[in-house]
Amino acid sequence: MPVIETVLIYGVIPLAVFLVFAVLTLLPGRGRDKTNYRPGQPWEHEAVWYEPHPAAGGHGDVEVDHGRPGLGATAAALAIGEHPHEPGSADDLGPRRTAAGGARGTW
Amino acid sequence: MAQELDSYVDGQHDTREPIVEEPAPQPFSYLDLARLDEALTMSSRETGLWITLYVGDLGSDTRGTAESLHAGSGNDPSHSVLVAVSPGQRVLEIVTGSAAARRLPDRACALAVLSMTGRFGSGDLVGAIVNGLRQLSDAAGHPSAHRH
Repeated sequence: MPVIETVLIYGVIPLAVFLVFAVLTLLPGRGRDKTNYRPGQPWEHEAVWYEPHPAAGGHGDVEVDHGRPGLGATAAALAIGEHPHEPGSADDLGPRRTAAGGARGTW
Repeated sequence: MAQELDSYVDGQHDTREPIVEEPAPQPFSYLDLARLDEALTMSSRETGLWITLYVGDLGSDTRGTAESLHAGSGNDPSHSVLVAVSPGQRVLEIVTGSAAARRLPDRACALAVLSMTGRFGSGDLVGAIVNGLRQLSDAAGHPSAHRH
């Protein structure tokens, strides 16, 4: 077997295979971590409030009022302390406390 | 160097800066949003609870803000669960309504919080949220299995 053939088969072909896999694995990850969060960094994005699709849950007989602001599927959330005003509801009696439990944690 | 670059402007290659401002970077990519959407929708569908996710600042009184958000959340606050994440303050709050709290006791919420904060600490926001929602829906179970 001539030397050139040996080098081609045992050197160039493995190298080509290696390069193909290197390109396939390294390229798709480029620029993926633009939105990555690092603990300790300030969070400078708008507050968002996500809710499930209306047909999904919420007690079966859900009537979602789409006219209300800030409660769309991916709409921007309400600002802190700002609630969707419901005319004629129990808002006049002061804010109801609806929370009954839960948990909190920090990291 | 600048003159050298200018000499390459030939009417075909536009080297000017864009006039229109780029939109602000979104906190989540489309892939992340799809994962969050699926997790929220599936966990709500499985449990019959109205599970919403808030990502943003929670003010100085994080618990109070989360509870007032819960009070204003959607149709039936007693059946709704709010998962509020404030990455800037590194705080996570889960608020359950009165009916939801029977299905999701505080202990289950604390367990979900614990696993979520561990992942938040390593910077995996979406993975933590998706896993936490899965844990919450596992703990709450299916609505037909419960007799109130």
